[in-house]
Amino acid sequence: MLRTVYLKSLRDRWLGASIGVASLFAIAWMGMWAYAGMGDEATDFIASMPEAYLSLLGITPDGGVAGLMLSNMFNFLGPFVIAGIGVSIAAAAIAGEEANGTMNVLGAMPRSRSRLLGSKTLALATVLVGAGALGSLSYVAAASLAGTPLGSLDLAAATVHMLAVCLVFAAVALALGAWTGNRGLASGAAVALIVVSFLMSGLLPLFEGLEDWAKASPWYWISGPQPMVNGVDWPAVAVLLLVTLALGTLAWWGLNRRDLGSGAVRTPLVERLKGDPRIGRAVSLLAGRGSTRGIAAKALSDLRPVLLIAAGFLAFQATVLGPMFSAISGDIGGVVDAMPEAILAMVGFADFSTPEGWYYGEVMSIVGPVAVAVVAINAGAALAREERSRTASVLLTLPVSRTAVALRMSVAIVAGSLIVGVALVAGIAAGNAIAGLGMDVGHIAAAALLLAGLGTLLGAVAFVAGGLTGRHDVAVGAGTGVAILGWGINSFVPVNPDLADWARVSPFYYYSTPNPLVDGMTWWHLGLLVGVGALLVAVGVVAYRARDLRG
Amino acid sequence: MTETPVIEVDRLTKRYGSFTAVEDVSFEIHRGEIFGFLGPNGAGKSTTIRSILDLIRPTSGHCRVLGLDSRRDAVEIHRRIGFLPSDLALYPNLTGRQTLEYLGNLRGGVDWTRVDELTERLAADLSKKVREYSSGNRQKLGIIQALMHRPEAVILDEPITGLDPLVQLEFHSMLREMADAGGTVFLSSHTISEVERVADRVAFIRRGHLIAVERMSELQDKALRRIKLEFAAPVPASAFDGVDGVHEVSVDGPTVTAQFEGSMAPLLTIATAHDVLSVSSASVDLDEIFLEFYRDEVVAAGDDPDEPGERGARAGAPETA
Repeated sequence: MLRTVYLKSLRDRWLGASIGVASLFAIAWMGMWAYAGMGDEATDFIASMPEAYLSLLGITPDGGVAGLMLSNMFNFLGPFVIAGIGVSIAAAAIAGEEANGTMNVLGAMPRSRSRLLGSKTLALATVLVGAGALGSLSYVAAASLAGTPLGSLDLAAATVHMLAVCLVFAAVALALGAWTGNRGLASGAAVALIVVSFLMSGLLPLFEGLEDWAKASPWYWISGPQPMVNGVDWPAVAVLLLVTLALGTLAWWGLNRRDLGSGAVRTPLVERLKGDPRIGRAVSLLAGRGSTRGIAAKALSDLRPVLLIAAGFLAFQATVLGPMFSAISGDIGGVVDAMPEAILAMVGFADFSTPEGWYYGEVMSIVGPVAVAVVAINAGAALAREERSRTASVLLTLPVSRTAVALRMSVAIVAGSLIVGVALVAGIAAGNAIAGLGMDVGHIAAAALLLAGLGTLLGAVAFVAGGLTGRHDVAVGAGTGVAILGWGINSFVPVNPDLADWARVSPFYYYSTPNPLVDGMTWWHLGLLVGVGALLVAVGVVAYRARDLRG
Repeated sequence: MTETPVIEVDRLTKRYGSFTAVEDVSFEIHRGEIFGFLGPNGAGKSTTIRSILDLIRPTSGHCRVLGLDSRRDAVEIHRRIGFLPSDLALYPNLTGRQTLEYLGNLRGGVDWTRVDELTERLAADLSKKVREYSSGNRQKLGIIQALMHRPEAVILDEPITGLDPLVQLEFHSMLREMADAGGTVFLSSHTISEVERVADRVAFIRRGHLIAVERMSELQDKALRRIKLEFAAPVPASAFDGVDGVHEVSVDGPTVTAQFEGSMAPLLTIATAHDVLSVSSASVDLDEIFLEFYRDEVVAAGDDPDEPGERGARAGAPETA
């Protein structure tokens, strides 16, 4: 696997992609298994669903439970995971070699930059298409394991649409990375595009007169033309591929015209903006000062960029969703009233006709947990990051005990999670006030505290994994794994009343059940989340004290 | 000499925004030569090297290697030369051998008996993962990958970083063998003793300006030496004014320090007129020779040759140079 740049890129990436596919399979199987356990009941529910809602999901009534679950996998989870894999590979393709300093050696090999980019791009496309196709096959396997018939759904067409859109997102990251040599910028901007595109394609069609604008969003083309029912919309796919090709050409042009980075420390964007005479003052005020006062303060200060983005996005989204609810509540009320209970369960038991249900479904079920998980897992992995960057050998030869270092770093997990919680309160309260939705502010605060509790636990998982192994990738992987698995269990297992109690193994259950926006705080849930988090941190500290340090 | 230079840098200038990393640098390196490229940190050594390799593009000027254009013929140049970057980074998840296999596959035409020979001479261990290597062992791997395909020329940026003295000696004898066999070595370093030990010619770069290029033998003929005289009573510095070959006299109580070239006799004649208690003399570092003989050029480059703290320290310069 070391014969060519192409093969080495595959070698570096196959494991991550396989884990992504395996998670998709696990969630698909879990969902179908839960639905299948309901027997005819589920089929009847689906048969009774309004035609309009089915068409919104992009499935036919004879798709049955498999159709519901598959539309979720193809239109929501699948593209997030596959596009995420693609963006991570694409952003690192050129910019990653530069950031790691290996471009100094690779760039001096007898390979032109164009050929290097070609090999990397081909590897990216191979992994992305391979993972997408394997994912689709795994859904078929999941359906057959769960004994659920697939009906007449065109999975191949759905796969083609999903892959074409994921390729566009990956190509954006590739082009940005090749132009700027900045991996963080490339992956950050591409992920932001994915999220914005997802929200655009979901929210714009709810407004009369804006439906067509959703078509400008790449995400729309995953399910907009309903490929699972209508087959491949080839003109649309051709346009997506042309956009990908154009972005690829842009990447080639950008890479060939610039200096290659040498792995030297790059001036961060914020620092460059601070240096700008026009906006420098404002940026400095906004960014504040990096703190080096102590270990805990520095840990929190290191967290600031990701905290700003996650909390800022959450607050912004929560604010605009308030007036948005007022604007469309009349329309969605009717659809939701006609929906059977089990289908509501699928969207997290959210009753979109009430503001509490709307906020639950739009903010608390996905965006809130993602925001708090990103921040808390980042904070939890900081201990292992010191070992990866070999700063641990400096830090731990200072007159501070390992216990003190580890505990002070863990403070950032709680502090970061609380700040995301504050952003949630601020956002929902603002949306509530602007639109006059009449939600209980105490309940909003309860939701925020529970979100912070969830973050504390997920961060603690990353912390204990880092404390045990000293490996940053293991720490991030463990935190993310528990987050995805926990979310999957809590989202799909409760649809089947016989299995509903199993949702209690997921930390997400204690965060979201019952909906705190409706029922307020369940104190023992918060206690459990924070308590387990504290226990994990304690185990992490003990393990960290006992073992040899890396680096 | 009508032979095409192996490496030719022609009026190279590289600017990053308002900062000039390298300005109007020109030099040639010929076959069979070990060319030392000496300068403090941030002087522009790596910027020059990265331009030669087409990793970065000159703002103006040209580089040619083996008669080929560094930009247009980059791939062919890379095929025929070897390169060891400064602050070497390799793939942490590959073993030493896997790293060489990968780079060897990308190059093609690598003779594995050559790899084994280099491994043995440098006492390198190829079995461990790169992330587990000490910096010295990682550097050995870097040297092997730069030399494993028997390149016509090799560009080495701070090559002895982390190597122990015995391995340094072995490495330097490898460079000499390569040059004797007609190969060309471009050795960038801020370690003066290394350049003194192996280079045939040496270029001195400071603040992005090439101050001078000299043959090593001629530099040594300049034989700038430092003398320290201990007197029974203080002697004024003016006593040594105008003495043949004497520079930079400084007085500290009864101790007089001076630099001189050529014969010591005129200096001793003045000294012995006073009550001399002891005399000690030592050779002067290469960079001091440059600073002394190219004082005007150094000043023109925006540097103060009398300010030791200035050497190597430049506020606001990016670490690309």
